[in-house]
Amino acid sequence: MTLEGLRQDIDIIDTRIMALLDERLERGLLTRRHKTGTRDPAREAEVLDRVARRTRCLAGREFTESLYQRIIAESRTMQERELRLVGFQGMHGAYSEAAARAWDTEAATIPFKEFSQVFDAVVSGDLDFGVVPVENTLGGIVGQVNSILVTTELRVVAAIDMPIDHCLLAAPGSDHRDIRTAYSHRQALSQCRRFLDRNKLDGIDWFDTAGAARMIAEDRPKGAAAIASRFAAELYGLEIIKEGVQDSSANRTRFFVLAKGAAATGGNKCSAVFFTDDKAGALFGVLEVFAKAGINLTRIESVPDEPGDYAIFIDFDGSDRDARVAEAIEAARGLVRDFRLLGCYDERKL
Amino acid sequence: MKNLKLTGAKADGKRTIVEVGGIRVGEDFVVIAGPCAVESEDQMVRTAVAVKEAGATMLRGGAFKPRTSPYAFQGLGLKGLKILDKARRETGLPIVTEVIDTRDVSWVGEYADILQIGARNMQNFSLLREAGKSGRPILLKRGMYSTLEEWLNCAEYILAEGNPNVILCERGIRSFETYTRNTLDLSIVPSVKAQSHLPIFVDPSHGTGVLGLIEPMSLAAVAAGADGLELEVHVDPSSALSDKDQQLSPEAFGRLMRKLAVMRRTMAELSSESYG
Repeated sequence: MTLEGLRQDIDIIDTRIMALLDERLERGLLTRRHKTGTRDPAREAEVLDRVARRTRCLAGREFTESLYQRIIAESRTMQERELRLVGFQGMHGAYSEAAARAWDTEAATIPFKEFSQVFDAVVSGDLDFGVVPVENTLGGIVGQVNSILVTTELRVVAAIDMPIDHCLLAAPGSDHRDIRTAYSHRQALSQCRRFLDRNKLDGIDWFDTAGAARMIAEDRPKGAAAIASRFAAELYGLEIIKEGVQDSSANRTRFFVLAKGAAATGGNKCSAVFFTDDKAGALFGVLEVFAKAGINLTRIESVPDEPGDYAIFIDFDGSDRDARVAEAIEAARGLVRDFRLLGCYDERKL
Repeated sequence: MKNLKLTGAKADGKRTIVEVGGIRVGEDFVVIAGPCAVESEDQMVRTAVAVKEAGATMLRGGAFKPRTSPYAFQGLGLKGLKILDKARRETGLPIVTEVIDTRDVSWVGEYADILQIGARNMQNFSLLREAGKSGRPILLKRGMYSTLEEWLNCAEYILAEGNPNVILCERGIRSFETYTRNTLDLSIVPSVKAQSHLPIFVDPSHGTGVLGLIEPMSLAAVAAGADGLELEVHVDPSSALSDKDQQLSPEAFGRLMRKLAVMRRTMAELSSESYG
């Protein structure tokens, strides 16, 4: 045992404590829909009592009690601030979270394991907004998200078009020359293939880019690094060995911000989804409506729904508050099945 | 010279052009300027801006320093590379920096536009091979005890790995003379041109180690036909952590650049047909 080794252990434990503290405060924020007011003396007493009964702890009763009083007080203050709650899929440090923070710097961003959980939590009112990736310039559409979009009752209230800048991250104080492996999400690894080859690094699949960064920070495996965002590096206190390690600089992801109601302003872009009958010219008829109205279609995508049936997504410039656009939407509605306007919104390019 | 399959002069007289960030080394006259070592972001960026203003075409700065004494400043390592990257973004000047460890070659290649192999490592054959594999342009300095043939054989190691982008750089050799740090061998410039197709640079800063000799030797190098110069310039030479006595101030560098322009015009005239 060395002092240096023990201190490194302590640093790792601190990283975990901070992450757990954050998680606890987030749970506190999520309780707001399920109770009235922020003060619940019975519940607070219950928490303090449970902590006090953990007598085997090295930390004494007085210390843990005052610590928990501080935590509960902080949780209450935070709930009173009535922060906007924005959910995203992945772990803290995910690109979706970076997009959410770029869109609303004041919001509290809350992680969920699955995309469907993000949608559900917005529908139930636990969250104010959800931020999900829709498409990537290199990887194409995000299938899971688009299939939920086909049926969701949520509206698109904003879009964020963000560059994806991958960084190679290592534990602070480690020697870059010792790095042999890079952990990251499969898609990120494939976007950095040439960089990995040049530096003779083995890419290892991990469920999430930010999860890989967190693992490196908490477990510090020897000779290992993560490929994740700069944001993840800051969050987990990792050293950036190299920024911009992706092979193509054209790597961008487009995110939707979802909410229960439509955007307050009309915006400059619209998204819609519909089905066409299996007959000649069905899709053409819709496109013709927009072409004749002089409305620029910026995206068209088909996503398999029921076997043999495809949902068609279209994005176009304009707002439904503009009569010309509103007319085109009405005309299109008559030509296809289940035409649904997902939203008219502002798109921000970062 | 024997066994110079790839480095020896070509029968048709064609010379190698190394393309770096829009600069055609071997065709465009190149001046690489910057401090001996990257000391801090402030020192590096200020020096970079100053040399760019004076007309430098590339930026140098050591992040890994091979020092005679193990106790001397060894360089900032990866942090130094990141500072160089910042200086490049500020000025647009391509970066030339030394690599001394085979394990660092790929990483230095991630940050630098040209990898420099220093005089002390000229015959480090595993480093030469690794540099060859990196595919990055290499500035190969002449070892202080090396003959032309030994030097060109070292270039051959890099070319043999499939990397044709080698630039040679004369930086002085050891002789019995102790007044200068090294003896700058300018006769090597036309000799390289006769024996090889690779571009040849001159480094009068290390070649003389005497501040007052850098300007005359730079002009002489142009007269001898050098394709470029490598010069040590520090925004504040008196505070430098290494090579204090041979780093030019930005003002002195600016004066030298103006004289070099006159010298190059003169040389162009001398090579024109009227002097056939």
